[in-house]
Amino acid sequence: MKSVKPVISRKSEGNGLNLVTGDTRFGLGYDILGLILFGLVWTLVTHMVFSRPDYAHFQDFMPLPTLKALAAAVKEPHFWASVAASLRRVLVGISLAALVGFPLGILVGVFPRLRRLSHSSLQFIRMVSPLSWMPVALLVFTRFESAVYFLIFMATVCPIVLNTAAGVMTINPQWIKMALNQGATRFQLIRTIVIPATAPHMTTSLRLALGVAWIILVPAEFLGVSSGLGYLINDARDTMAYDRLMAMVIAIGILGFILDRIFQLFQQAFRWSWHK
Amino acid sequence: MSPLNSDPTLNRRQFLKASAAACAGMALGRPVRATSRRTLKLGYLPITDATPLLVAHGMGFFKDEGLHVERPVMLRSWKVLTEAFLARKFDLTHMLFPIPVWLRFRRNQAVKVLAWDHVNGSAVTVRGNSDIYSFADLGGKQVAVPSWYSMHNLILQMGIRTMGLKPVIRPQNAPLAADEVNLFLLPPPDMPAALLGKKADAFIVADPFNALAQTRFNARIMRHSGDIWKNHPCCVIVAQEALLQQRSPDVQRAMNAMIRAQAWCRTHPKETAHLLSREGKGYLPLPAKVLETVFAPTNPAELRHPQWQVPRIDFQPYPYPSATRFIVEQMKQTRVQGETGFLNTLDPARATNELVDPRFVKTALAETGLGSAFAPLSVNGPFEREEIIEIR
Repeated sequence: MKSVKPVISRKSEGNGLNLVTGDTRFGLGYDILGLILFGLVWTLVTHMVFSRPDYAHFQDFMPLPTLKALAAAVKEPHFWASVAASLRRVLVGISLAALVGFPLGILVGVFPRLRRLSHSSLQFIRMVSPLSWMPVALLVFTRFESAVYFLIFMATVCPIVLNTAAGVMTINPQWIKMALNQGATRFQLIRTIVIPATAPHMTTSLRLALGVAWIILVPAEFLGVSSGLGYLINDARDTMAYDRLMAMVIAIGILGFILDRIFQLFQQAFRWSWHK
Repeated sequence: MSPLNSDPTLNRRQFLKASAAACAGMALGRPVRATSRRTLKLGYLPITDATPLLVAHGMGFFKDEGLHVERPVMLRSWKVLTEAFLARKFDLTHMLFPIPVWLRFRRNQAVKVLAWDHVNGSAVTVRGNSDIYSFADLGGKQVAVPSWYSMHNLILQMGIRTMGLKPVIRPQNAPLAADEVNLFLLPPPDMPAALLGKKADAFIVADPFNALAQTRFNARIMRHSGDIWKNHPCCVIVAQEALLQQRSPDVQRAMNAMIRAQAWCRTHPKETAHLLSREGKGYLPLPAKVLETVFAPTNPAELRHPQWQVPRIDFQPYPYPSATRFIVEQMKQTRVQGETGFLNTLDPARATNELVDPRFVKTALAETGLGSAFAPLSVNGPFEREEIIEIR
């Protein structure tokens, strides 16, 4: 039997499909081209829909009014307070979910009995819209702010647990056997093999959680908070200021993109490979 | 002299201004309470229904009464507001009158209606080029309502039934007979867009959404609710029974402040619009221009009964039992989705006694001496009136 020789490659291009497609460093050019294409599609679709005379009142959805509204919004202190508030809610919610989700995911992955035991309830909770927890959040938490954290936590904890557990289960069984042969305890096994081998899955689960958290943020800010990008979107809807609504959508998009990039760098730091 | 002075309501407002000034003298003689140590929390939705709560806070009336009130908490839907209220996130709030009826008698929650928050303030709105001019034209149409347990649903179905039409609740693509009107729920902010997008042929909702649809999308007001039922209650001030027992002096302070706010709004429509707006204290996310439409005298062309002289929104605190009884009776006939068995056995007179607690309003009217400020709204003396309803 061929022995497994761990080769740690910290460069993403040494991984997976990239081995086949070759060097995938294209620089910023493709990103910018993608954005331009996106802008074109947006202009085209909104033009097709909203240039009809009965929809003339909704031309605020088009790119130009949106960009104007965004330019106006970035001058308001309330906008920046809202950015900070939303970022805080997303990050606190995800951190709490990671704090609970990583250990739980590893335990669920490592212990088959626990896996069977938790399987049905995890699947059950995963399918429930986190917004159904709103009344619970209102009852249990004294502050509206903590109720929002709770909603984001509920939305993100399941993807984190399930991805971490799935990561544990993809570990090469030979490593486990080898470790056990050499007399490793369960604790040593988890620390030296399971956690490092699962790290890429954990960081992927964080990126997934990030997307879910932003989705939940807008309805979560229906609760009695007084700032936040979701709050501003609700404000724009209440006043039918659709240019402002779109501006907030773009702002959330930009922030989400930046956060995702940061998480991606984080992910790459853990993306080692044992293949050659 | 402004050209608007030809409007009768303004003359009445000027008269009220004078009488309010006269009352101010009397107000000095009222009992003085010590400052309360505990704060009181308020919750509201971003609609003009919340005006008295917000003005009482914005003008510092609560502080004048020796009560510390935090900036009211804004929520975004009746559902969330009701849930947060039941979870005791705040002490006082405004609710559409049928909601506390439902809470008390269906959900067995110990809630009490303390006072009327405002009167009128809603309208049936249609597209600018629509051929709907009266309730009779609603046959075969789709109409959006904000909540099943709302004054809007009640008044709309009164109108539909009177015209010999049948209100139904069906999927939107189900076929409708010529004498059926399909009702469906829609969050108020989405109503004007749904109207223009032809998902709804009409909607009934509180301002500012009618005003917004008018100013932004050239929508037309088919009927103001106050033009159907003269000075009808809409939102009421609601509290938990426990609060009334444990902190009755604070509730009295709050009631005095809110009554002063109501009287102030009646004489200062422009200032009210500005105070609430984005440009003012920002309680509502709306520009002052839209709010001014709501607080300005109604365009007489939009009224069937201009002689009633009902403003678009007005303020009057006393919870006339005749109106409560009428609402409970109407609720029995109003179609809603969900369990309504509790209404069958509900006696209107008993419901009125159990649900409404007018002690605080009566004391507040006496202590603030503002009874005369609302005099034009009471028909047969200060504590009873005759309900005037004319659908046609």
